[in-house]
Amino acid sequence: MSGWDRVRASRSRSSQNSAETTRTTSRTVTLGRVQPQAPGHRTIYCNDREANQPLRFKGNSIATTKYNLLTFLPKGLFEQFRRVANCYFLMISILSTTPMSPVNPVTNVVPLSLVLLVSLIKEAWEDWKRFQNDMTINNTPIDVLQDQRWEPIPWKKLQVGDIIRVKQDGFFPADLLFLASTNADGVCYIETANLDGETNLKIRKALERTWDYLTPEKASEFKGEVQCEQPNNSLYTFTGNLIVQKQTLPINPNQLLLRGCSLRNTEYIIGAVIFAGHETKVMMNSMNIPSKRSTLERKLDKLILTLFGTLSVMCLIGAIGSAVIIDRKHFYLGLHDMRKTVEDDQFNPDNRFLVALLNLFTLITLFSPIIPISLYVSIETIKFFQSTQYINKDLRMYHVESNTPALARTSNLNEELGQVEYIFSDKTGTLTRNLMEFFKCSIGGESYGTGITEIEREVAHQIGTKIREVEKPANFIKEKGFNFDDPRLLLGAWRNEPNPDICKEFFRCLAICHTVLPEGEESPEKIRYQAASPDEAALVTAAKNFGFFFYRRTPTMIYVRESHVEKMGNIEDVSYEILNVLEFNSTRKRQSVVCRYPDGRLVLYCKGADTVVYERLADGNEDINKVTREHLEQFGSSGLRTLCLAYRDLSPDMYEKWNEKFIQAKSSLRDRELKLDEVGELIEKDLILIGCTAIEDKLQEGVPACIQTLSRAGIKIWVLTGDKMETAINIAYACNLINNEMKKFIISSETDAIREVEDRGDQVEIARFIREEVKKELQKCLDDVQQMHSVSGPKLALVIDGKCLMYALDPSLRVMLLNLSMNCSSVVCCRVSPLQKAQVTSLVKKGAKKITLSIGDGANDVSMIQAAHIGVGISGQEGMQAVMASDFAIAQFRFLTDLLLVHGRWSYLRICKVVLYFFYKNLTFTLTQFWFTFQCGFSGQRYYDDWFQSLYNVIFTSMPVIMLGLFDKDVSASLSKKYPELYKEGMKNVFFTWRVVAIWAFFSVYQSLVLYHFVAISSSSAQNSSGKIFGIWDVSTMAFTCVVVTVNLRLLMMCNTITKYHYITVGGSILAWFIFVFLYSGIMTTHDRQENVYFVIYVLMSTIYFYFTILLVPVVALLGDFIYQGVQRWFFPYNYQIVQEIHSDEPRDMREMLELEIGNQLTPEEARSLAIAQLPREISKHTGFAFDSPGYESFFAAQLGIYAPQKAWDVARRASMRSKPRLGKKN
Amino acid sequence: MDIDRGSTSINEEVARSIPIHSGRTKVFYQFTQQNLPACKPVLTPAWVITTFLLMGVIFIPVGLVTLRASRSVNPFSFCFCLIIQLFVVEIVERYDIECVPEVLRGNKVDKYMKAPIHIYYQLDNYYQNHRRYVKSRNDKQLLHGLKYNDTSSCQPEESNNGLPIVPCGLIAWSLFNDTYTFSRGTTELMVSRKNIAWKSDRDHKFGKRVHPFNFQNGTLTGGGKLNPHIPLSDQEDLIVWMRTAALPSFRKLYGRIEEDLDAGDVVVVRLMNNYNTYSFGGKKKLVLSTSGWLGGKNDFLGAAYVFVGSSSVIISIVFLLLHVKNPRPYGETAYLSWNLKSIS
Repeated sequence: MSGWDRVRASRSRSSQNSAETTRTTSRTVTLGRVQPQAPGHRTIYCNDREANQPLRFKGNSIATTKYNLLTFLPKGLFEQFRRVANCYFLMISILSTTPMSPVNPVTNVVPLSLVLLVSLIKEAWEDWKRFQNDMTINNTPIDVLQDQRWEPIPWKKLQVGDIIRVKQDGFFPADLLFLASTNADGVCYIETANLDGETNLKIRKALERTWDYLTPEKASEFKGEVQCEQPNNSLYTFTGNLIVQKQTLPINPNQLLLRGCSLRNTEYIIGAVIFAGHETKVMMNSMNIPSKRSTLERKLDKLILTLFGTLSVMCLIGAIGSAVIIDRKHFYLGLHDMRKTVEDDQFNPDNRFLVALLNLFTLITLFSPIIPISLYVSIETIKFFQSTQYINKDLRMYHVESNTPALARTSNLNEELGQVEYIFSDKTGTLTRNLMEFFKCSIGGESYGTGITEIEREVAHQIGTKIREVEKPANFIKEKGFNFDDPRLLLGAWRNEPNPDICKEFFRCLAICHTVLPEGEESPEKIRYQAASPDEAALVTAAKNFGFFFYRRTPTMIYVRESHVEKMGNIEDVSYEILNVLEFNSTRKRQSVVCRYPDGRLVLYCKGADTVVYERLADGNEDINKVTREHLEQFGSSGLRTLCLAYRDLSPDMYEKWNEKFIQAKSSLRDRELKLDEVGELIEKDLILIGCTAIEDKLQEGVPACIQTLSRAGIKIWVLTGDKMETAINIAYACNLINNEMKKFIISSETDAIREVEDRGDQVEIARFIREEVKKELQKCLDDVQQMHSVSGPKLALVIDGKCLMYALDPSLRVMLLNLSMNCSSVVCCRVSPLQKAQVTSLVKKGAKKITLSIGDGANDVSMIQAAHIGVGISGQEGMQAVMASDFAIAQFRFLTDLLLVHGRWSYLRICKVVLYFFYKNLTFTLTQFWFTFQCGFSGQRYYDDWFQSLYNVIFTSMPVIMLGLFDKDVSASLSKKYPELYKEGMKNVFFTWRVVAIWAFFSVYQSLVLYHFVAISSSSAQNSSGKIFGIWDVSTMAFTCVVVTVNLRLLMMCNTITKYHYITVGGSILAWFIFVFLYSGIMTTHDRQENVYFVIYVLMSTIYFYFTILLVPVVALLGDFIYQGVQRWFFPYNYQIVQEIHSDEPRDMREMLELEIGNQLTPEEARSLAIAQLPREISKHTGFAFDSPGYESFFAAQLGIYAPQKAWDVARRASMRSKPRLGKKN
Repeated sequence: MDIDRGSTSINEEVARSIPIHSGRTKVFYQFTQQNLPACKPVLTPAWVITTFLLMGVIFIPVGLVTLRASRSVNPFSFCFCLIIQLFVVEIVERYDIECVPEVLRGNKVDKYMKAPIHIYYQLDNYYQNHRRYVKSRNDKQLLHGLKYNDTSSCQPEESNNGLPIVPCGLIAWSLFNDTYTFSRGTTELMVSRKNIAWKSDRDHKFGKRVHPFNFQNGTLTGGGKLNPHIPLSDQEDLIVWMRTAALPSFRKLYGRIEEDLDAGDVVVVRLMNNYNTYSFGGKKKLVLSTSGWLGGKNDFLGAAYVFVGSSSVIISIVFLLLHVKNPRPYGETAYLSWNLKSIS
């Protein structure tokens, strides 16, 4: 019990000191749902259902559905009415049931109900699918212990306290206490892919006390009592005690098997259910991703508000007019004896104020179509198709090698993709492949490895020199993670090198000092290494290829098959005992292992960043150190990732003394991490440098070209990386981000002045000094920029490192930083933490008010991805966290061109057009009604029949605009990429400015005037030879016909491409109107309605007037638009129009087709595999867990009691934890 | 506007290169790859000029034909200055004598008017489209008579003395009741009052067995009375009146003169000036009009056609001149905004 008291105590304590940190971070990252810890603890009696009965734990059946039969309607409707537009229409519907309404309430209720119905059906369908999914999960069988036998029962019948058996590759049905496993040492391996997307295996270890309860007979004897914390959503913490036979054993996360994980490499395990159903950690973590709204949508809101304003003005004019015009002298209105009813009050000349007020409501109902009810539904439909059919299925964004199509995880942001102005990119895994290959090394002052890196090649290409390619020898060993070629080291040749002993140390260090898990058969060909980072795997693979094959690991031992050690060709298995592991973390930047050789020799192996390792080297060996440093710099400049390797022999006495301290630190309760770091410092000193490794991280395919295209499109690209400045600059060069014509500003903390101050060690002084320095630098750069602006100088680039950035992000300097960076076409931030990435992103997002896009692949990019307007994750690589947090996932950085320049631009254009068209058609329609109001004494008489009015939006004009939103494209995809500058139009939002809206509004007014007055005036006299006269409904039906025709034809005029679907829908809409009116006016129902429009259309069509009018009016109405379009195109052409003209004579999309075939060569097999990849798959049972977090936590770290550093998204998500955010991952 | 036809073949090639055979999947493929065959209209100057010219060529003749058709119709309006008390029949003659303009008395018809000559009355500033007015009727009652007794929509003229009114409502109540007789010289002209309402109204909206009941029995009489022995479907004055007008100034058909009027004929109108338009300052006009194939005289459509047609021609000429004088090179890369910037 004291256990969890302590935990809570420490939590509350850390919440205090993290208060400052969270205050700064809370603005940059979205905070997750706060879930307070329930007080107290729970006691579970294992294997004893009766004893657990009174405690009423939740069962194991889960329901992820949002609704049930009872709550569906109220809850679903509530969700719908959270949208303002729906509320507005509800209000109109209510108003229309009052006597004030000029229209039949049904006609307002029906469209609203239709819209609601569609949304509700969609909700219900989704919920039904969730329900089915739940049912499958709930009915999965699991072996539970009953009467000394394993009985299969469905998951949902499982109860807390049950003892169950999970077989290999099975999923854990609930959070289990791990009791026993078929593996020796009570170990089992689990895969957490469903939790965090990481496919490497984790180890869990049962308490030694429970190892034997493996057979059903034995297990049924198990009577334990578990006391543990209440269910909570923290995936990495768990405290509790297991009381077996009056013995209290502490249990920790290491004995906990979480629901959602699966068992690997273990025949079966036995566990006791601790948390079931919704109380499992995974379920408590499920939450909806906060949805992002696009900027265009927010602007749309403003437009709707403007429309509402217009509506109010119109109503006000009408209301005042009605009050003024009403008079008893109009005897035919029967105003002589007024009754006290609303109908009469509305026209009572004695109370003109009331007349105005009541008429106001009348007119609101009358003019309500000015706000288009179907707008949101239409836009959502369009966006849905855009994302599921276009983005997800685009062959140009389909990565053949990894069989990954692009994935739009949200459809809200399609058009935002067309307005991106800043891209924040991670380096590793995004610009580069994160396919780490051991490329070069330096051992004992000798550099090995002959290859030329891609970056060197790219840089050379930029400069213009040619590098001679070295022919690869035929027997060149090439496997994943190893791209090393130097005959001096391979196949035991190192024995002939000047310093074979140090080579041996080098290889052993590689083979021993790591946290890699081997998997599969223990032969060099078939083994697979599971590593936290690909660098580690590459190093171990390298050791294997050098003849030091690491093939087995137990918690205490590492087995290495060493070749050629004693003499050539000699192979022997050696086991090293691992005594201590000093885990890697971002502050330590190194990793050490203390191991004991079979002969008793105690060695500490250390690998880490050059800076930290060099600080801890023993004196002497200056020349080797110096030479190695030179090599390090060489490697760094060719864009390689370097690690220094060092070792130290330990004397047993000294080790024992240190180990005591270590154990003490390990078991300390306060500041354990800090103490462990301190203890580490005690032993990680006086190291002897072995050498260094260089790993190549290759550039992704097509990155430089993509970046060049994007920057031509006016997009500014920032690279945010944790790498060293030199590496970052090199990558930037290689990617075309920086070139020699550019003026570079470099703000670095690695200057002599700063170092000097840092050496003095006064923290306050350091902070003050660096701040001053940064300020000075920024000021200088800004001055330069100003000078250069006057003479339109070269492009600018800024390079800044994390430490300086920290100070530059200070509120007082932030503006300067922003000003400077806005003037730079590319910015490189190196050595930045994940949190800083997010800070920089939101600096631009909020400071510059520009649309930002973040792209990254790893967990360290999650905060950045969430902070930006649009988050893009690189899919198909190792982790899934970035993808889980992103809005779009693509397989390769280069697909960004297609995503932005093609899909983004088109989506933007289309959505703009759709919105404007909706605006136009409803305004036009309502204005004709408004003009009529002037001529009917402002009485609020409706001009059109109820049904005409309500079906106008829903049927007669709804389909063509969807075609516009789906098919319109100004220039083809290939031209979009050939002229990336076209993208700038979206950035400036030229297609949806108030000016554009005003032009549309102007033509709307013009058209409505033409539509109303032409029809009204021309119909005032007799229209056929019999001399009979039209009534109001004849005229209005005529006008409505003209409106439908005009508005639909106008759509065709605004299309850049017209497919047959345009013709079908435009023709169909007009036809639908006629069919409707033929039927509607042709029948008399027994139901009471004013037979206003009875036979009207037949009367109309019997006159020649009808045909003359229907030819004239739409033409005159559209004349204005036609002239405008002609003049605009002639004198003020948009860029896309010129591009259209340039390429208008080319056969349509020929280039595009060819490019599709050449550029992304899809063989029939590949196309088929794409088709297969897109088939609806049987969904894995556990993918429904909608949460996007947890991180990699090394088994060893947990064993040592070190909490793995929390990741950025952990901070973001689990604010409830209030634990000090520790950021960082090696990058 | 270029409509490319070569496109389909290319599509087929691509489609063939992909292992997809059925037409439906091909369309789907084109859809997802956003490559549906389409025509791409480009509004080039040539197109603009041609379109306008074409519009001019079509619209001017149509307009002229329309105008001519309506010009052949010869209406004249007679204006009454009506300041007459309600229902005082005797005075009509007096006002008749005083107010009828010179034209009427003994003046000639300008042109030959071919039968049938339609007689309209025209009311101005009369809100027959007022909301209170338009809804004050009951179509069910008109069709089914007293069988249908929910007449709430007819307020305030739904019942009188506790009995329902047929036809109820303000529209019927305010029925226009001026009457006209015409004579040429000494012979009275035959005025046909039949077939002045739309057939659909007579047949389906007004009941054949519905007779006026309790009509105009209130303290206030709004307008004309109806013969309670004639069914509504035959009361064509009422049917015409109840097809409410769209605009506050409207004409309604009164009847037809079935004889030709020669130029020089003197038409004398004798009118019963019963209807009160004085209270709201409305004007009453009597219109005699023949009709052509297009209907009555209405220059508007024809004029609009001619106007639109001729302005189209003018616009196209303006565009042409502009194009000749200051041509914009078609598809000139220099006009791209980013190129413009780099030049300047």
